[in-house]
Amino acid sequence: MKNIEILPHTADIRIKVEGTSLEELFRAGASAIAGILSPGFQRDSGETEVIHDIDFNSANATSLFVDFLSEVLTLSYVEKSIFYRLEFRELTERSVSATVHGQVVNGFDEDIKAVTYHEADVRLNESGRWETVFIIDI
Amino acid sequence: MKKSQLVPLDPYRWEIPRTFRKDMRVPAWVFALEEVLDDVLADRSLDQLVNVATLPGIVKASMVMPDVHEGYGFPIGGVAATAYPHGVISPGGIGYDINCGVRLMVSDLRYEDVKDKMEALSGELFRQVPSGIGKGGQIVLSPKEMDAVLTGGAAWAVENGKGFKEDLEHIESHGCLTEADPSMVSERAKQRGRDQLGTIGAGNHFVEVDVVDELFHTDACEAFGLQKGQLVILIHTGSRGLGHQVATDYIRLMVNVMQNYGIQLPDRELACVPFNSGEGQSYFKAMCAAANFAWCNREVVSWEVRKAWKSVFGKGVTPPRLLYDVAHNIAKIESYGMNGKEQKVIVHRKGATRAYGPGYHELPEAFRHIGQPVLIPGSMGTESYVLVGTQKSRELSFGSCCHGAGRRMSRRAAKRQVDAPGLQRKLRERGIFLTAGSFKGIAEEAPIAYKNVNLVVETVHRAGIALKVAKLKPVSVIKG
Repeated sequence: MKNIEILPHTADIRIKVEGTSLEELFRAGASAIAGILSPGFQRDSGETEVIHDIDFNSANATSLFVDFLSEVLTLSYVEKSIFYRLEFRELTERSVSATVHGQVVNGFDEDIKAVTYHEADVRLNESGRWETVFIIDI
Repeated sequence: MKKSQLVPLDPYRWEIPRTFRKDMRVPAWVFALEEVLDDVLADRSLDQLVNVATLPGIVKASMVMPDVHEGYGFPIGGVAATAYPHGVISPGGIGYDINCGVRLMVSDLRYEDVKDKMEALSGELFRQVPSGIGKGGQIVLSPKEMDAVLTGGAAWAVENGKGFKEDLEHIESHGCLTEADPSMVSERAKQRGRDQLGTIGAGNHFVEVDVVDELFHTDACEAFGLQKGQLVILIHTGSRGLGHQVATDYIRLMVNVMQNYGIQLPDRELACVPFNSGEGQSYFKAMCAAANFAWCNREVVSWEVRKAWKSVFGKGVTPPRLLYDVAHNIAKIESYGMNGKEQKVIVHRKGATRAYGPGYHELPEAFRHIGQPVLIPGSMGTESYVLVGTQKSRELSFGSCCHGAGRRMSRRAAKRQVDAPGLQRKLRERGIFLTAGSFKGIAEEAPIAYKNVNLVVETVHRAGIALKVAKLKPVSVIKG
């Protein structure tokens, strides 16, 4: 089953992501961001690697999801990197503790201004999969 | 939303009554000629407009201009004023690109005299003005310099030899909001902005050379120094990653604390707190700092444009002068007559331009008697406009009007429909040089993706909230 689906939006990008677990949902979200910043990104062993820890709490699963992707996006810009691997130490509906691995790239293909809370709603769907829609401002 | 749910107030304004939804605190107004309305109704803009009408402390009406399109919380092309000081401030009502705006520089060259140099000018502008994503510019700010930019705005560029002193008077708020406090801006935001001064970025940002094509308002043209056939330069960019991070930081904060103020909203992205709360003041001071960064950015881009101008047209050429610079994503404290008395309000403009009429003390003497220049870029390949603000905008729309053509088609649909190399070729045949970082960027910003700017401008002109002064025709477009 496809984990990332791009939906219509007049000016920005509306994305639906799904996963069998919260981890898979968060991975799909981060992968969607990486795919927009740098479509077709391939790891290159000659490029500089960057590693960051992400640890924080949010009020609920939806805020946690958006805040996590915002964190990954910020790190992408600060480090001029694509984050391709996520290791979760802990992930609940209100708390995340992870290490993200990235690689420095020579510019991005798209300018993502932000991951927004608009329409985001992390929930278990009827098939028992986690899903949400979210909109990124470009 | 259906057309039948809109009540016509006059030929250019429609109302969604306060009774439309229980949680509305004020009615919602749509500035649009009937011809524009189908485009306005094509997406969820007006549902978002109704959501804005629920903000605590909102006064008069939530409004959208004819270039409105769906956003992610607030619609783009919106104006919302809340009571000062206890009404809310909402970062989403300003947007992530704080003080995204436009400036117009005016040259003393005529297109006919230099048209054989347009290709060289396009190449030189592309070289001088860094564009694209995730790449820095020519200036890397130290932490001390960053704080000076955030405090001083465009004046920092002038003090550091990257701008003209006389430009400052020709910038909204003279290019500096004095309420700015760099300590309210996160280190990450500063880190993101440290190498971005003098860069335009990507998306719909651009540097464009235009020729003045048609004049509508003789007195304003004279005051602004606009003549038919003259070359002018439009610059559209904002506060870059620094502003994006300020908005991200504070929306996240407000989503978490707004419940402490008893605020419940139909959309988290409208997150807000009372202006006079600690969080409200922190955001406002950070937003002002980001706005100053944006004004400094546009001043440095102008310096790069002037370098390109000199390089192509020779050392003896007069550098283009700044006509005006306006913000279209910002919140300002302004005063308006309401219920028979002057009241201070917090005006949120998200994709809307200030459009003050004659007599405003901040305007340069040369056109204080005429009103503020209002700059409305079209899409690449179509006309742009210079308008002049009016007293009526203060009466009707919190001194605001539209900001552009407004998107009507998604970027994805545009990419599917537009043959970018073909479009570039066709524009070239029409005498427009288009230089861009990618074909993808060209396709996404193709004229077909935008509303008809002529109808958008016609709406605000007929509404009397800004009047047409001159039409500009592009001859060279530089995009990220």
